[in-house]
Amino acid sequence: MIYLDHAAATPVSKKVFEAMKPYFSDEFFNPSAAYLPSKKVASEYEAAKGVIAHSIGAKASDMVITAGATEANNLAFGAVLSGDCLYLATEHDSIRKVAEKYHGQEIAVDKNGVIALDDLKAKMTDKVELISIALVNNELGVIQPLSEVAAYIREVRRDRLARGVKQPLYLHTDASQALNLLNVNVARLGVDLLTLNSAKVYGPKGVGALYVSHDVKLSPIFVGGGQERGLRSGTENVPGVVGFAKAVEEAAEHLNGNRKKYSKWKQILLDELEGYELVNKKHSLDNFIVLCYNGIDAERLIFLLEEKGVYLSTGAACAASKGEKSHVLSAIGLSDSEIAGSLRITLGETNTEEQIHDAAKLINEAVAIERERRG
Amino acid sequence: MAKTVFVGMSGGVDSSVSALLLKQQGYNVVGVYMKNWSKDLPGMKCPWAEDLADAKRVAVKLGIDFEVWDFEKEYHKKVVEYMLEEFKAGNTPNPDIMCNQEIKFKLFYEKAMERGADFIATGHYARIIDGKLAMAVDEKKNQTYFLYRISDEALKHTIFPIGEMKKPGVKKLAEENGLHNAYKKESMGVCFVGEVGMKDFLKEYIDIKPGEIRDVNTEKVVGHHEGAVFYTIGQRHGLYISGNVGEVNDGMPYYVVKKDLKKNIVYVSKNLNDDNIWTDKLELKDVVLRGAESCPSRTIKTWPERPGACPGRTLEVRLRHLGQLIPAKLDGNVLHFDSKIKRPAAGQSAVFYRDEICLGGGIII
Repeated sequence: MIYLDHAAATPVSKKVFEAMKPYFSDEFFNPSAAYLPSKKVASEYEAAKGVIAHSIGAKASDMVITAGATEANNLAFGAVLSGDCLYLATEHDSIRKVAEKYHGQEIAVDKNGVIALDDLKAKMTDKVELISIALVNNELGVIQPLSEVAAYIREVRRDRLARGVKQPLYLHTDASQALNLLNVNVARLGVDLLTLNSAKVYGPKGVGALYVSHDVKLSPIFVGGGQERGLRSGTENVPGVVGFAKAVEEAAEHLNGNRKKYSKWKQILLDELEGYELVNKKHSLDNFIVLCYNGIDAERLIFLLEEKGVYLSTGAACAASKGEKSHVLSAIGLSDSEIAGSLRITLGETNTEEQIHDAAKLINEAVAIERERRG
Repeated sequence: MAKTVFVGMSGGVDSSVSALLLKQQGYNVVGVYMKNWSKDLPGMKCPWAEDLADAKRVAVKLGIDFEVWDFEKEYHKKVVEYMLEEFKAGNTPNPDIMCNQEIKFKLFYEKAMERGADFIATGHYARIIDGKLAMAVDEKKNQTYFLYRISDEALKHTIFPIGEMKKPGVKKLAEENGLHNAYKKESMGVCFVGEVGMKDFLKEYIDIKPGEIRDVNTEKVVGHHEGAVFYTIGQRHGLYISGNVGEVNDGMPYYVVKKDLKKNIVYVSKNLNDDNIWTDKLELKDVVLRGAESCPSRTIKTWPERPGACPGRTLEVRLRHLGQLIPAKLDGNVLHFDSKIKRPAAGQSAVFYRDEICLGGGIII
């Protein structure tokens, strides 16, 4: 098997799995209970949260653990009380669908998929309360210049105060795809809310976190026992969070090695593949390689490659499964036929250099079969 | 030059093997996924996207062209709206029969012909013998009940590649050729209705209107219902009677035997011999006589090709898919049975056969 879809899912690493195991059975206690074994589990849970928080320059008490990034993204919109929101045209559906409920308006991107700051400025009104911009786009791997956006937002806040406008303004980012290759720091990015996703960093699925700066007033989605500062009730997912923390630690350890490795592998692919246009030419993480084979139906390539044990995708897994064309590739100005011909490779820990050479060869062969069939 | 066949591919094993056989027979095959209308209701999933991917995966495996034809609008108009209207009128229509008549063997056929097809093909279990629609070899799968209304013109240009096969053989062939959907769960019922069931689907379109359930013999109110249109003659489940579903103290179930739409009353009976349940004749509408081109008035007497269908000669009639073949005589638009039959719901079809040939049918009034 050659797995080239690490942006869709990552396997749980061995160390992560080992770290989680005791908390399913021996250390099963509810952290909220009164007796000592529970208190031990509670303190280990808090420590794990601390590890996750520290990885982005935050404190454990800033973090709200959720059941994945979709929930964290939905929860972030709990910051909107009465105002409007803006989001990038290339955001994941977990942002787009929830933004619809809050008079959401799209911010355009340029042909590289980078935020058009002019468009953001044009759409800024005194009613805007939340702006959501993913740090790394999940289809293109494009990194957004968030600190530039944050600088502009500080200006807007100052201006609002000077004019006596009370409406707060928050910046949210979905950093689900970032931790494997980027140093993420909430202060440096200048964000008020930040989503993390365990499933994309070799941790367990169904675990995520939302960093919530203490000046953000958030209303919860789930109410009940008042866990997570009352922002997310429900008994704590102790094994999930312990695993997530281990995964975050490992990501930090692998960061520099990964950068070198993926940069090299990306170059191998670009050299050895034939007859493509690179879609994400600039500002993109090296483990995202989006190829366009114009005139070819990329979905057919996926089925041909599947038979050879090579797994990759045409875009975000969710969008592809619904049979819709990618709104991300649309937003960067690709034509329908270019979108149909686009293939996303996302490299990761399961890969070896030998696999990368093999993958290039097998992809070339699949493309040749399709070109020949079309005559 | 190889003849061109456009084959409707649903993602299921039957249409996949159909495409495989056509390819092996040397046709120039184009696979088409027909996208029909579906509604996303909470708790209900019409897995068309997965079906589409399954169909496409097979097409890629076979190395044939593959297209998606969007018939959503037409399907909604011709099948879904028809179905809703029929239900509102108190009938129990069969949307699959309408889908074959209006979509697969009309729109799909016409578009394929425009695109230069010599034939269309589907994964139906049916045969064409001497140009006539005939039962499939696999009696357990025979789908001619759903096909009796398709046009003769379309039939002339149709291939049913698996009509000579039995289901286990079809599955085996899929396995041998590495078609992954050999193991796929068979789709049941109407896709757009899905697993929630017809009643829940209808409730999205037709308001609940509580009314009385009465015993047909005593006129006594024995329970209440959510609207007479939601109930079908013969139904015995989902009746709210005496706090039980379809049962009262003596353990004998009630059956729906009559509906009064105007008064919104559903009549039930425990008597399986109730006169409302049994009948020896059925009146039909929209009767189709297959191969009746020389029979413009559509009366039996001017149907020389099928002397057997003349008054006095016996037909075999099927009142539901794979139902028992019941001897009957057709006189005008009325079917006469030798002995009493359980009355099917209005809106269902009675389909005529003789010697494996489907001779047509009509919709029960």
